[in-house]
Amino acid sequence: MADTAIRFGFLALLAGLIAFFSVSAPGFLSPQSAVFIFQSVAITGILALGVTATLVVGGFDLSIGSVATSSMMAAAYAMVVLEQNALVAVLFCLAIGALVGLVNGIIIVYMRVPDLLATLGMMFLLVGLQRIPTEGRSIAAGMTMPDGSTAAGTFSPAFLALGRHRFDFFLPNLLPVSVVVLLVLALLIWFFLEYTRFGRMMYAVGSNERAAELAGAPVKAYKIWAYVISGIFASIGGILLAARLGRGDIASGNNLLLDAVAAALIGFAVLGAAKPNAFGTAIGALFVGVLLQGLTMMNAPYYTQDFVKGAVLVVALVFTFALSNRSRR
Amino acid sequence: MSITRRTFSRLGLAAAAGLFAAPALAQDMPAPFDNPGEVKIALVRYLSTGDFFQAYLSGVEAQAKALGVDLRVLDSRQDAALQADMVDQAIALGVDGIIIQHGLTESMKEAAQRAVDAGIKVVAFDVNVENPAIPQIEQSDRDLARLALEQAVADNGEAWKAGYVYVAGIAPLDRRDETWREFKAKYPGINEVAMFGTLDNPIANSVANQARSVVTANPDIQVMFAPYDEFAKGVKIAVDEAGLSDSIKIYSADISTADIAAMREPGSAWVATAATNPAVVGQVSVRALAMLLAGEEPGASVIVPPTLITQADLNGQDIKNMEELSAKLPQFAHADVAMPAWMPNPNE
Repeated sequence: MADTAIRFGFLALLAGLIAFFSVSAPGFLSPQSAVFIFQSVAITGILALGVTATLVVGGFDLSIGSVATSSMMAAAYAMVVLEQNALVAVLFCLAIGALVGLVNGIIIVYMRVPDLLATLGMMFLLVGLQRIPTEGRSIAAGMTMPDGSTAAGTFSPAFLALGRHRFDFFLPNLLPVSVVVLLVLALLIWFFLEYTRFGRMMYAVGSNERAAELAGAPVKAYKIWAYVISGIFASIGGILLAARLGRGDIASGNNLLLDAVAAALIGFAVLGAAKPNAFGTAIGALFVGVLLQGLTMMNAPYYTQDFVKGAVLVVALVFTFALSNRSRR
Repeated sequence: MSITRRTFSRLGLAAAAGLFAAPALAQDMPAPFDNPGEVKIALVRYLSTGDFFQAYLSGVEAQAKALGVDLRVLDSRQDAALQADMVDQAIALGVDGIIIQHGLTESMKEAAQRAVDAGIKVVAFDVNVENPAIPQIEQSDRDLARLALEQAVADNGEAWKAGYVYVAGIAPLDRRDETWREFKAKYPGINEVAMFGTLDNPIANSVANQARSVVTANPDIQVMFAPYDEFAKGVKIAVDEAGLSDSIKIYSADISTADIAAMREPGSAWVATAATNPAVVGQVSVRALAMLLAGEEPGASVIVPPTLITQADLNGQDIKNMEELSAKLPQFAHADVAMPAWMPNPNE
């Protein structure tokens, strides 16, 4: 009985929430609204899936928020200032994400800097770095460069489509690209972590690094890969952000980081996993999205939203740690 | 009508340019600006990141350069205690004048008094240091909100359903909120059906998520009042995504190059914004300080008037960025505030 409560408690809570909002918020129960909830959590959800990979190997990545905003600036810079096309911009961003992840991994694994400190340092570094090329200005088509000239490039329509195009799905123009990307990445990382040898080994590294090492696993490589995955996912989040906003915004990305970490931690409680897992992370992100959009539709003021997010996180962590430990005893 | 007025003002400008064709020479200026290289002023900043503050700084630099004075920039990066220390640092540097840009009344009041006691002239921008010796430079947030709302009433009549974006506790937004309340009282036909807002960054993205829920729940909203451009950007994204660009009009405050592009997109719902040019505010800050140094009185509060910018203005004159906006809307490029005859105009 207690076991069932732990396994399905969170999913039941989610179902209850959806039922509650459907009754009390007009317009909540519609396909458009459902798709929109996915869209609102797509970017933090993608970041959360990336950070899940680092949590799996027993690490942590505080730099994802700033990787995402740096990637957004890089995409804007590539197109507006360097006048490149959408493909180049996307590849440029992915390369930055992979490079940052690689550097994070090397610093943590070979320089033996604790993960929180290394990625904290990287976070500050990126917040500063993204401002250097434009001397602190946001990037938009037609902007004035520090030397007084006007940037000639524009956001290419193909790139903007990543943020604005919608696929037909039962209804015309229903599914935005970002939601499709979120779902595809969630499936990919879920399959990768649960069903491939590589993913299972990452869990092994996370649960007992020494045992994994003695068993002959290349622990260092697995850990570095986890940070590279996290960096790439964060840069994908940044690409989608740039495509939605249509410009490169100066931003620290701290809120993205916090929301993503919250989603990944809430994910521990889903299905009583009590460990980082991709399915849980996706449900966690969705849970936060349902709550926030429902509350906004009911005209709840903004400060209640942070309160609710925090409360959900605390409840989820209690689920994870107290309840699941008790049942194990 | 407007053409003649514009032509007329251009003639006026040309005449003025002719009169002052030779840049004001140092010896034409009152002491201590007859020897401007010896004059040192400091800009002590609380906020510095973002386009607004970048443009403000460029205005300060331009006016300081036009005067020929030595400018030091001290940036506390949102550290209130450090900002107060920096005023003391400026006093120790032996500056003649200090501009305090933003900050908290509690932390800056005493530091500002110490500077005044040391015989230094001080002006404050957007922070009230409660000192009669220190003129306040202000962009009038009430006027900003009033201009945008008057345009909304002109476009939509006196009765409409409104969505309002607001976060309490931010001084300029609170002042804009006062005007919004006055308007709602004055026009009972204005019905605020939803209020939302957040400052989670990237702000535009977070506001877009909220606005999307709001327009889904209230598809009959006609006007969105978003008196901060990041809010307006977010609302526009949501309105576009919901396919409601035809039925909702967005009115905002502030402007940037990115905002101009967003307002000019075909079918854009963002129809008007009221803005003060941050570079002009920077210039006025330096000019008010220079007047104090020359023994003149700029007044206890120096208000930089805002300009209404409509989508029609931008499209009609094909304005693509802030520079073209300054060039084509002269009232945006220069404010005739704190402008005694001897003051060099940095735009010329």
